[in-house]
Amino acid sequence: MRTRVRSGDPDAYAELFDSYSRTLYNHAFRMTGDWAVAEDVMSAAFMEAWRLRGTVDPEGGSLRPWLLGITTNLARNHCRSNRRFRAAAAAAAAAAASASVPDHAEEVAGRLDDRQQIAATLAQLSALRGPEREVLLLCLCEGLEYAEAARVLGIPVGTVRSRLSRARTKLRKLADAELKKNRREPAARSRQTYDDRAKTVRSAQEGI
Amino acid sequence: MNADLSRRHPAGREENPLPLPFAERELPAGRHRFHKERLMAQIHEDLRAADAHPGMTAPAPARTARPRRLFLNRAFLVPAAAFALAGALAAGFLTYVDRGAADGRGSTIATGPAMTTRIGTADDGKGTPQLLDRISLAAASTGGGAKVRADQFIYIGSKTATTYVKSTGDKNTLVSEELHMRHQWNSPDGRDGWLIEPGNTGPKGMTLGGKNEKGETPTPYLNAPSYDYLAGLPTDPDVLLKKIYEETRGMGRAPDQEAFTTIGDLLRSSYPPAELTAALYKTAAKIPGVVVVDDAVDAAGRHGIAVARLDETSGQREEWIFDRQTLTYLGERVVQVQGEAGEGGLIKPGTVVATTAVMTRTVVDRMKEIPPSAG
Repeated sequence: MRTRVRSGDPDAYAELFDSYSRTLYNHAFRMTGDWAVAEDVMSAAFMEAWRLRGTVDPEGGSLRPWLLGITTNLARNHCRSNRRFRAAAAAAAAAAASASVPDHAEEVAGRLDDRQQIAATLAQLSALRGPEREVLLLCLCEGLEYAEAARVLGIPVGTVRSRLSRARTKLRKLADAELKKNRREPAARSRQTYDDRAKTVRSAQEGI
Repeated sequence: MNADLSRRHPAGREENPLPLPFAERELPAGRHRFHKERLMAQIHEDLRAADAHPGMTAPAPARTARPRRLFLNRAFLVPAAAFALAGALAAGFLTYVDRGAADGRGSTIATGPAMTTRIGTADDGKGTPQLLDRISLAAASTGGGAKVRADQFIYIGSKTATTYVKSTGDKNTLVSEELHMRHQWNSPDGRDGWLIEPGNTGPKGMTLGGKNEKGETPTPYLNAPSYDYLAGLPTDPDVLLKKIYEETRGMGRAPDQEAFTTIGDLLRSSYPPAELTAALYKTAAKIPGVVVVDDAVDAAGRHGIAVARLDETSGQREEWIFDRQTLTYLGERVVQVQGEAGEGGLIKPGTVVATTAVMTRTVVDRMKEIPPSAG
């Protein structure tokens, strides 16, 4: 695959697109908080990957980390200021909140919870600095190894580790604060969303 | 979540402070295909430019020459998306429009005055069953038809051109493309393929394989068949006829014409086993309104006898052309025989609306391999 991409084989790019457009789209969303921008970033990332084909190392494994790196860089250009990300996160939260009118239909509950979950995650992510957010998304969300993340971001592995560690500390503090604030509620929702989503929402509504 | 994973990520997932995995979303409907086509158009444009200026073949390693067009303005994206969603345009055409916009002229195929012909004389249809019977026998006895292994490809090389109304400003003129070669390869299961046709693809061609925008592998059917699909069709003419009518119900303007066109498409652009070809001729004989035309000429200039049917709604006659002696299939054309059609009635009787001559049908070992017999 790497050889085919290097030599500019159009079919190789068609395959890359089919395999990774969804991944890049979602990653770009987590980077920017805006689905429309995410679509543009995803599309631009493939164009950029085509332009940069000559820089691909013929040796190596999957091209997924490389593509995620390109996407990260493009999304960063768009979201240069953290203020923009916070605004997007706030907008997502507002949209999720306004949609959370009581409704007993199961599937509606599931859908609402998706939006609330996304809004909650964005809110947490917006507590981080941009570079911390990048390593967190690449290493935890996309499962890149530290060395891969370091290579695609062009930073030393040690920096990846320290950023990730700072990101974890911040988020843990945030979660603890959230827990204290919501002690009266059935449970911390941000943790409970690991489990069955529909149930989470129902118990939360019953608790109110 | 297995031990391996947590070793790779020493901090462990249970410690993950985020409510991950995040709910994922698919691209909005149609956008996968839209963005993929834009990417492929860009790639083909660059490759063509590289061909034209060999000095520039090396891909730029750093961000230099090309102006950055990372965030396309949505004013362009939205109408273009509507375009793609309308679904009226084939993938190749969209690519072609993109390229046309990028470098202006040169990417389109040359056109000239509309093709015209002498309209052959049709019989009353009484001779049709007998002629089709002879054609069917000839098809079966030549032992033709493909025998293809799963790792091989069916190649069809044809010479073709169509006529259309071209709008320049507010002026409409009827033009015909210049006759050109169309090279097509298909894997027997239909999952892989390649097409090279000027005006439709770049000089390197485009893939006919891959998945649709839903990420599904398209299932072959009567109007987009694979070799394997055709090999599995019934060869009893009555059963086949019933199937054709059923599967094309509601399509086209009239059921009989639609059935005739469906068989015509199979004869022209597929290479089924000989038994099916023979069965298709016998099936066509059962469609009402099929006539014999005394003379017709294919896109390669070969004259022959034709089996034809007039589409009363358009006044156009589809003619399947056969060698008068051997009764081998030569090609197909559509001729305006009565009334006028097209925008402003520009298509007058005697106009050749579309024409194709099948030059080579064979099995090759690799895609993009042009057999020596197809010069």
